[in-house]
Amino acid sequence: MSGLRLKGLVAGRGKTFRLPPLDLTVEPGEILALIGPNGVGKTTLLKTLAALLPPIAGAIVDAGAPAWLPPPGAVSAGFSVLHLTALGRAHLRRWSPGLTPDDLDAARGALDRLEVGDLADRPFDRLSSGQQQLVLIARLFVQDAPVCLLDEPLALLDPAHAQAVEAAIRALAAEGRVVIASTHHLPFAARADRVLAVGPDGIKVGAPAEALTPDRIRALFGIEVSGCPCCGQALS
Amino acid sequence: MDPVTRVRAALLPAGLVLLVFAGALTVLATGPLGVAPDALLAAVIGQGSPEAELALALRGPRLLAALTCGAALAGAGAGFQILFRNPLAAPDLLGVSSGAGLGAALALLLGAGAALVQGAAFVGGLAAGGLAVACATLTRSGDGRLALILCGVVAGALASAGLGLVVIAADPWSQLPSITYWLLGSFTRATLTEAVGALIPVGLGAAVLIWLGFRLDILSLGDEQARSLGLPARPLRLLALAAAALMTSSAVAVAGVVGWIGLLAPHAARLIVGERAGRLIPASMALGALFALVIDRLATAFGPAEIPVGLLSAAVGAPAFLILFVATSRRS
Repeated sequence: MSGLRLKGLVAGRGKTFRLPPLDLTVEPGEILALIGPNGVGKTTLLKTLAALLPPIAGAIVDAGAPAWLPPPGAVSAGFSVLHLTALGRAHLRRWSPGLTPDDLDAARGALDRLEVGDLADRPFDRLSSGQQQLVLIARLFVQDAPVCLLDEPLALLDPAHAQAVEAAIRALAAEGRVVIASTHHLPFAARADRVLAVGPDGIKVGAPAEALTPDRIRALFGIEVSGCPCCGQALS
Repeated sequence: MDPVTRVRAALLPAGLVLLVFAGALTVLATGPLGVAPDALLAAVIGQGSPEAELALALRGPRLLAALTCGAALAGAGAGFQILFRNPLAAPDLLGVSSGAGLGAALALLLGAGAALVQGAAFVGGLAAGGLAVACATLTRSGDGRLALILCGVVAGALASAGLGLVVIAADPWSQLPSITYWLLGSFTRATLTEAVGALIPVGLGAAVLIWLGFRLDILSLGDEQARSLGLPARPLRLLALAAAALMTSSAVAVAGVVGWIGLLAPHAARLIVGERAGRLIPASMALGALFALVIDRLATAFGPAEIPVGLLSAAVGAPAFLILFVATSRRS
């Protein structure tokens, strides 16, 4: 699978909200964590990468068809988990009369893989946020997009589900996909391949060890932290 | 899927169609000019007794109109409910019913004949729906659904205001009764030509909605999810709206304004077949046809004067809706 290349991409919304231009190459299989304070434009950047918002300037090169997920709890559907998962193959069935048994098999396989196969016949709306998030990531496997853009994939989740979702995100990347995930969960950012920090002083991209130092966290969020998530010390 | 669910899923459509068929035969077999089913079937293939043929000729078109309109309103209602993920969405969501009412009333005011009134209602309904969609396209709100609902309210309000004006302008002795009667809804007027004339656009709209199937499920997740799943959200949504508006306009053009079917039938169908559009739309259409049949039978059941179908459907539909709502909320 190809990676993702951004050339002077400016994401923004409305007439005034602009992020600084961004030149970046993300390799296939790489997990890029996107951090920054609330309201700084993380969601706007992700939606621009997902082609849901037009870029103000610059371009996205070689992106393939990106897949995008809103934060846990944002998707609502009354039909079954299996059907929702199989809808990941809709792009292959645009003009067909319906989904095929193959699509259902692919959905079942992906659900089993993330150990939520037993939820297949339940209505999606009846699941917990954590279960819903695992199902939506199973749908990303079914959709098989080369670029996966996740908006706060760990928000609202208990530690066990957060761990399961993080493992699923790693599995997405391990198959050669680009994964870009915004997060406020700094330990997750520390375990990513690179961190893209959007702050008042611009956009910085770097290894987690450089991006998550107490100085940088202070510059980003205006708070003091006593440790660094990279060296095992807990953040206060 | 376990075997029981699979058998149920396979038998349900056949069962619903049989139910509608049995309902139609029962209606024809009872009441004035009632004819036994075997005599009716003989009449259908042209071998029946004169009484049976007369009954079929007199009551057949009305029956066909009731079935078509019931199915159309229920199918359109289900489509709107899925598309807008709003359980209160009904076929008149885009102002289609009010627009059709205005068209028909205007035609009646100008002294037009039955065919022209039907045509004017059809055009009026599509015009109101088109106006709502056009206005919604002008706004640039993220997910277009809220804009569509609001613009539908605007189009409906404009049409209602126009309708009020027509009612005021109408001659209270010669024109007003026919306008009022038309607005209350009835299957009485339907001729075979009118019923078949409605069947064609309704069939077309239904075919489109049923083909959309899983695509409607995706649209119900919102535009961003739909686009992220690789579907052209806006064109597909326009197609679904056009199909539902076509079905509603055709139904209102034949029967006048008959409420509640489009709200009630999809809710009842949802209890039986669940939320998936591919199943919900056909099941809603079957139940809507059945409901219209029952209502139309009730209209003639209380003495010589017919009760307008629009009144009956509200009188029966509103309590039935409440019962369904209570039943559903207790189940979950």
